[in-house]
Amino acid sequence: MPCKILLSGNEAIAEGALEAGAHFACAYPGTPSTEILETLSRRGGIRSEWAPNEKVAYEAAYGASLGGLRALVSMKHVGVNVAADPLFSSSYSGVNGGLVLVSADDPAMHSSQNEQDNRQLARAAKIPVLEPADSQEAKDFTVRAFEISERFDTPVMLRVTTRICHSMSPVEAERDRSWPRAPIRDYDRDFSKYVLLPANARPRHVFVERRMEELEDYAASERDLNRIEWGDSTVGVITGGIAYQYVREAMPDASILKLGMPHPLPRELVREFAAGVHEIFVVEELDPFTELQVRALGIPATGKKIFPLTGELNPDLVARGFQLSGNGVSSGSEASSGHTRTGEIPDSPPLPVRPPVLCAGCGHRGVFYTLSKLGLIVTGDIGCYTLGALRPLESMDSCLCMGASIGMAHGMEAALQATGDERRVVGVIGDSTFMHSGITGLINTVYNGGSSTVLVLDNGTTAMTGRQDHPGTGVTASGEPGGLVDISALCRAIGIRRVRTVDPYDIEALETALEEELSADEPSVIVCRAVCRLVDRTPIAPSVRLDIECPGCGTCFELGCPAIEERNGGAVFDPEICCGCGLCVQICPFCGLHVEGREELEPA
Amino acid sequence: MNAEQSPIRNVLLVGLGGHGVLSLSRIVAEGALAAGFDVRKSEIHGMSQRRGSVVSEVRYGDVVHSPLIPGRGADLLLSLELLEALRYVHRLRPDGVLLVNDQRITPAPTGTGPVEYPEDAVERLREMAPSVRVLPAHDVAAEMGEPRATNMVMLGAFAAITPEIDTEVWVQIIDRAFRPDLRSVNLAAFRRGLELASGA
Repeated sequence: MPCKILLSGNEAIAEGALEAGAHFACAYPGTPSTEILETLSRRGGIRSEWAPNEKVAYEAAYGASLGGLRALVSMKHVGVNVAADPLFSSSYSGVNGGLVLVSADDPAMHSSQNEQDNRQLARAAKIPVLEPADSQEAKDFTVRAFEISERFDTPVMLRVTTRICHSMSPVEAERDRSWPRAPIRDYDRDFSKYVLLPANARPRHVFVERRMEELEDYAASERDLNRIEWGDSTVGVITGGIAYQYVREAMPDASILKLGMPHPLPRELVREFAAGVHEIFVVEELDPFTELQVRALGIPATGKKIFPLTGELNPDLVARGFQLSGNGVSSGSEASSGHTRTGEIPDSPPLPVRPPVLCAGCGHRGVFYTLSKLGLIVTGDIGCYTLGALRPLESMDSCLCMGASIGMAHGMEAALQATGDERRVVGVIGDSTFMHSGITGLINTVYNGGSSTVLVLDNGTTAMTGRQDHPGTGVTASGEPGGLVDISALCRAIGIRRVRTVDPYDIEALETALEEELSADEPSVIVCRAVCRLVDRTPIAPSVRLDIECPGCGTCFELGCPAIEERNGGAVFDPEICCGCGLCVQICPFCGLHVEGREELEPA
Repeated sequence: MNAEQSPIRNVLLVGLGGHGVLSLSRIVAEGALAAGFDVRKSEIHGMSQRRGSVVSEVRYGDVVHSPLIPGRGADLLLSLELLEALRYVHRLRPDGVLLVNDQRITPAPTGTGPVEYPEDAVERLREMAPSVRVLPAHDVAAEMGEPRATNMVMLGAFAAITPEIDTEVWVQIIDRAFRPDLRSVNLAAFRRGLELASGA
């Protein structure tokens, strides 16, 4: 008997994968995609794996597909860049078992370094795109994506955004949510399809172009994927994804062409829709992906002229756009009263900001405090430790993409040498990011005779995305013991002779290690090992004790620790969140701080 | 605050990372669904565990499309902290209700000079939201020996002013949501919140 359950978009995608009888799922964690694989590994009945990066994840899923399994691979939008090489070629070689790639885009960059629109990547790779507008569709379209993949011999992109992934809405589900696995397809060797030698790839490209034409016919005929909702004939809106929901609220009477499958664009359907309405609008987040294609058909359409090109949409922005065009519905002015969705009220005193900070007792804090003190150039990377770039630590010069810190440190070193600049550079990278794509950068440094120093901040987890395991933890996605890849041994194996481990709570040891490794004329790695405070919440020691009347010099505020508050000109320590890491003890110039059992930290 | 005024009930929930805002908003959404409403909920993950400002939006009614509440469209603002209430009170409708836990949590020093916590937070909230209820939810939960149940005290207060969802619905959801050893204290916290807000 069916019932309604409340699911996030990510949970619904996992549900869809199970309903489709998928056998294999893999991913590298990345906001907003992470909970898809987490849900699958929790639910069980499907082999779920964390891969060290998105390229490997895609390749593993592709191999499973070739072997006849239905496979799902999920990643955040920028992860698809990492996986682009196998993705683009697999478009040519096609699939055996259904293969679905979930691309979780992040308009507004809630937790990302760019807001690329991956419909563009799918178009470049020549694969179809399905785009759900709520959790129900996230589940249904996942099932559908597997069917399309097998029927048209193509990988399928399920494109979702943060407001789909992390929004919850009701989903019709069977009470007994256990699904049979899909039949496993036979694997037969097929030289002309799976071996992309030029002579084989050329006819496959012709196949791909024909496939996209067939998919366009399919997109036009499948009215449950792409549907027209006829309303008032003066305004016609082409939309999809979360933007569809905003349009339904802002323009309840408009006619709507809802694209659940925005690529390839069903051109005949667009013409049919355009013929039935007076004026066409396209409402889509980020790029004018559909708008430009509609205009290429010779249909005048208004889109980015009135709706923003950057950031995410919301009901207010959509309503305002239509008002600008003279078509808006006045909604009693709630939506357009001039107030921003977040932020300050005009004419009110400014409020103290509350940005995310490194946790109390975080092992990264001492590292950034020391880097800042030594005045080093720091090429940084992606993770919690990117927060070290913010005040008051402010000790990171760059944050570009996963793994960039090490390659950039090498190039930056070359530049400093070329100009005779005395400044020194270090690369800073987390353990999971090191496994993702740091190791190849380090091989480059070794091979090309660089002498960079790299700090691997090893907190034993992929912290920023919510604490997922990785090869360095030796625990698999399903919580079972797996192979353990030792970071120090790995660095030695590729030819780094200077590898050492330090306790990042010991500022003096950190400083000594940095000075020694920076002066060495060869590459070096310092592994700063301290388990993430959200993984092991047992206090390191009893909380810090202030034994003097604090004169309020403010030195300990430079740590940016949330357990230290400024009150009446002095420092106050919050025993509820202080875990006795002892960093403040080491830097208090008045020796007024103590941690029971950690007297060795106190300045002599 | 009756159903005729607004066919969709817009609930904005705010607090700090690690404060229980997201679990509270999930329970609110589950309650609305169990009471027969269409429901949508949205929030941002990723940065939220690190003591940053956290906001979650829940909307329920006969039919709901957008998971996001229009700009100044919140019928109800539920805040687990005073400064966070101030930060989001501008999204409350002029006739909306504010439920706020009277706790003050000073932001971490950012190294840009002193961070002045607005001492007049409660007065400013009263000015901007005439229908404000300031509740000692944290103190009540702490007295019960479980400060983490602050969000359930607030849920009780929420239940007191949302008669469209039966109290029994909440009791059942709390029962399902917590481990057996935490059930009774969370249920008790909920009932205390219900009493607090039902009184004068």
